[in-house]
Amino acid sequence: MKKETTEELFMKWIDGALSPDEEKQLQVLMEGDSNLESELTRMKALSESLHAEIPASVEPPYGDFFNSQLMRKVDLEIKAQHPAKKAERWWQSLRWAWAPAGALALVLSFFAGHRISRTSDTQGLASSSRMESSMASLTEVYFAGEALEAEVISDSEGQVSAIVVNGLSAIRDDIDFVTVSTEANLPSTYRNFEARRFQ
Amino acid sequence: MNFFRWLTSKNLMAPAGASPDAGASEQEVPDHELIKACQKGDTRAFESLVTRHRGKVYAMVQNMIKNEADAWDLSQEVFLKVWKALPKFEARAKFSTWLYRITHNVVYDWLRKRKIDSAGELDDGILNQSDIAAGSRTSPSTSARPDQALANSELGQRINSALATLNAEHRETILLREVQGFDYKEIAKVMDCSLGTVMSRLYYARKKLQSLLSDEKRND
Repeated sequence: MKKETTEELFMKWIDGALSPDEEKQLQVLMEGDSNLESELTRMKALSESLHAEIPASVEPPYGDFFNSQLMRKVDLEIKAQHPAKKAERWWQSLRWAWAPAGALALVLSFFAGHRISRTSDTQGLASSSRMESSMASLTEVYFAGEALEAEVISDSEGQVSAIVVNGLSAIRDDIDFVTVSTEANLPSTYRNFEARRFQ
Repeated sequence: MNFFRWLTSKNLMAPAGASPDAGASEQEVPDHELIKACQKGDTRAFESLVTRHRGKVYAMVQNMIKNEADAWDLSQEVFLKVWKALPKFEARAKFSTWLYRITHNVVYDWLRKRKIDSAGELDDGILNQSDIAAGSRTSPSTSARPDQALANSELGQRINSALATLNAEHRETILLREVQGFDYKEIAKVMDCSLGTVMSRLYYARKKLQSLLSDEKRND
């Protein structure tokens, strides 16, 4: 039989918790060891002495003080978990009104936006003429040289436009654009600028 | 707090023994009712629970650490932990088992801390006879004839001395079984170990105690 099983049988015998089957098993062990029963009987007596000699309950000294000290600690614990709230500012007390005020502002904004949108619809013609004038202002072309003039040609919807520049000197036929020197026929300021850029 | 609740709390608060009915009125309210009230934040119900269980907790701690002053402080710690953990306590668990589990943790934390402080071993050596407080209670709670009381007191002292030489696990197993009357399963829950371990610890603790007390008798 395993050691753990025999120990369990011994303890159960002392505590009077053996089942009939376990009792039979222990009986077999006792028959094989003449000292076992007396040893277990002594253990049982010790168990009874322990029960009788050591009190299960002993009031702590100064029981009232024990409770009052403990409850003080409990109060501190409660306060730590739920700290006292700070005094509210006057405007904080009005926070209940924030939600309806916000909702009202939203509604007013909606109606105001709606009205503006309707006004724009009725003024569609004016608006398109304003668009044409803005297109016209866009078609102004600025040149540093006064001898140059530009003509802007655009379609009726303003989606395609072409700029025709008049007054430019003709490009010589003998210029080879592939091998042309960057310094040839260019103003000196531009040449200096290009030189700094490539440094 | 309404008047009825206040009145109930006042009843619960009456110290045991103050009047013949005082103890009875405490017994009328079962633990689980007090626990429910505590879980709702009723501190008076908690104080009643403390008054009801403080003796057992203090005795257990005192028997484990053999130091009255520390036992007092540790018992306070146990109940403070109980208060903190009560919201998580489930009604299907047995309160006493849960309470002793917390007591177990507090005592072992203390023993561990003491072991670190003294850089000693958490074993038989940590608690010896010199650690037993002079005023520690060893006599039985029932009154007896003077000669019998003396004999009992001597036996009690011998048992206490022998208990102090056991290691913490063996001592706790013996105390839970023999003194507090816990069954094996409850001991396993309190000590967070298997049933087999409980049986084994109980067997060796009883055997060692038996041997210590027999040696003492022989020396006398």
